[in-house]
Amino acid sequence: MKPNLSTQSENTWCPGCPNFMILESVKQTLTKLIESKKNKQTDFAITTDIGCHAKIFDYLNLSGINCLHGRAIPTAIGITLGNPNLKVLTFAGDGAVYSEGISHFIHAFKYNADMTLVLHDNQSFSLTTGQPTPTSQQGYTSKSQPLGVFDKPMNPIKLALASNATFVARTNARDIPHMVEMMTKAIAHKGFSFIEVIQDCLIFNIEANGKDKQMYKIKDNRSKKAAEKLAEEFNYNSKSGKIPLGIIYQSKELTLQDKWSR
Amino acid sequence: MRLNIIIGGKAGQGINKVSGIIAGTLNKYGYFTFNYRDYQSLIRGGHNFNTLSVSDSQIESHDATVDILVALDERTIKTHEHALKKNGIIITADQFKKEKQNLNIALAGALAKILGIPLEKLEDEIKLQFKIHNEAIVSAKKGFDSQKIIYQLNPLNNKPLILSGSQAVAIGARNSELKLYIAYPMTPATGVMNELAKDQIKNNLTVFQAENEIGAVSMALGSSFTGIKTMTGTSGGGFDLMSESFSLQGISEIPLTVYLASRPGPGTGVPTYTAQSDLDIALRAGHGEFPRIVIAPGNPIETIEKTSEALYLAEKFRTLSVILSDKHLAESEFSSNIKPNKTPQFKITRKIPGKSLVKNSSYETDKLGNSTESYTLTEANINKRITKYRDSKKFIEKNFEMIKIHGNKKSKNLVIGWGSTSGAIKDAIKDLDAKFLQVLYCKPLSPQIKEELEKASKIILVECNVTGQLGRLIREKTGIKIENRLLKYNGRPFHSDELNKLIKGML
Repeated sequence: MKPNLSTQSENTWCPGCPNFMILESVKQTLTKLIESKKNKQTDFAITTDIGCHAKIFDYLNLSGINCLHGRAIPTAIGITLGNPNLKVLTFAGDGAVYSEGISHFIHAFKYNADMTLVLHDNQSFSLTTGQPTPTSQQGYTSKSQPLGVFDKPMNPIKLALASNATFVARTNARDIPHMVEMMTKAIAHKGFSFIEVIQDCLIFNIEANGKDKQMYKIKDNRSKKAAEKLAEEFNYNSKSGKIPLGIIYQSKELTLQDKWSR
Repeated sequence: MRLNIIIGGKAGQGINKVSGIIAGTLNKYGYFTFNYRDYQSLIRGGHNFNTLSVSDSQIESHDATVDILVALDERTIKTHEHALKKNGIIITADQFKKEKQNLNIALAGALAKILGIPLEKLEDEIKLQFKIHNEAIVSAKKGFDSQKIIYQLNPLNNKPLILSGSQAVAIGARNSELKLYIAYPMTPATGVMNELAKDQIKNNLTVFQAENEIGAVSMALGSSFTGIKTMTGTSGGGFDLMSESFSLQGISEIPLTVYLASRPGPGTGVPTYTAQSDLDIALRAGHGEFPRIVIAPGNPIETIEKTSEALYLAEKFRTLSVILSDKHLAESEFSSNIKPNKTPQFKITRKIPGKSLVKNSSYETDKLGNSTESYTLTEANINKRITKYRDSKKFIEKNFEMIKIHGNKKSKNLVIGWGSTSGAIKDAIKDLDAKFLQVLYCKPLSPQIKEELEKASKIILVECNVTGQLGRLIREKTGIKIENRLLKYNGRPFHSDELNKLIKGML
């Protein structure tokens, strides 16, 4: 039976926003899992942060908590501590996780709770009208920083690898089949799986948009050395480098739940 | 009968063992003890001391004047000599230097002899407290034999048990079948974390140390969401960090119980000392308007009861419950033979993820749990939350002890206070024409408080803070301004003899 993952809430994303495609990918991924009887609809719990991405909470007919800014990850970890049988998915933005919630992001890899983080990265705080985030490119001007961003952007993939991530993937918000593949693999991964979704914002930081030409797909990678190289290819700053998509790194480690049930 | 013994020395010299062995021996011998721990924020060196107060009846405080000074170093004598009574005794460590690491045990032996406790009672206690005890017993005997009996304490029939406030929170939590305690270490709240962690596997309880207090409280909300009995705990600084999530609790209505053990602020203050200066944040931390419950027990027995009540109420009314304590209550060792009231038992019956579809949110929501910006729903939701507070107030008034009245119940002189200061007040008014109104529930506040204040001809407020936070709360709720205030805010709790003189001076 096809699950009803939709809600009656009015969708308030901007017309054409790639968030619609992320929503569709989530629905396709979960529908397959539910239809194949791997999971029931009530087995899933989501947490969302604050920002455009978080509206997904209202558009998915799933249990969950629409959290405070920066706190979607620790709240989700709490859910896995409370009920390790739930399939937990966190949706968060680049501003939420890399600014307000950065400590939780780093520690999440250390705990390795069995859950999935879907990170919508549009290199902008869009719901608050376009202030720069830690992944915004140098020179990006906005109302709050009219002189432009002075700093080089953070590279979250490198940070994740340095934090002993066990699953790091990157995908493109315009590529539903690839997103579905990454989400399916991330959910199947035992441990904390991190998917970075590269996403355009049609209203703010439009200079950062249109990176599709740089993107290319890689085979699932399990070598840390190769992963570190892949992480270096895109620096979030210039459009000259290549942007690898796919599983950048995956390894097997004890999950938070394994460690506590030993 | 009451004796006060100061045991002082450098951190690492084992003063806690001296007070621990003597208190344990005395309790089994039928005496009540109260042990105040005064220590600095360092691991080795400095000057730490315990004041062990001994009595043949229940006590919950220590005195400033001292009968016996047990000095593990020279600095102890210099620091505390002035507090010694005229015929006071000093036991110095010099004569036991040969005992090396068992120097403190030898001093415990000497102290036992001075108190007139039989050697075998002391030996029994050492055997109980040390797995390997042969050398300790030899040292204890050396100390014992070096002294003469000065106070011939005779055995009594009381059977008090020693408990600290931290242990009591852990007992209350276990009585309520707590499953998860998530926290970040901060003195003086860490005691509860340690207590619960001790037998966590046996008790089927997980103690999880998060990356910071924001992580801890967020995880606690996530866990509670799944229908697991969860608690978090911290001190003032950590509580500040948690504030945003208290607000999330308010709107999402995910039950949350928080243990707040305060210490003197602002900032890092004097971190290993005590203050009652966080009542304000317990009452108000978090943006927006939402219901909460704040309970401030005064001793470990009340702490056991109130911890369970806090967990029960958080679940029943899907609210924020704060158990407010401080360093003095958390870390002092009380002895008592009172049994706590029965624990209110409860099962979690609300809808939980995994079984049902449950949506909780930091936004105002519609019936399905999805975000809304509707003015009618916003107002309706706020009204629902405020009604919930009124319901919880009615329920608490009917079912739980919100205040206690101690002392001469007919007296027109009313002392009012709360939390860890209660013990010193109770002991201070024993020979005075005064009654003590102890406030246990700070939110909601008992309507009886106003009645009691109106009946009294003299009211004295006693608190360990500079602005009289309970006094301000009472003024806000009753319109009554308490003019007579005894406020102490040097990081040290009230001594009962000190407080006795201060209250007497005001009557």
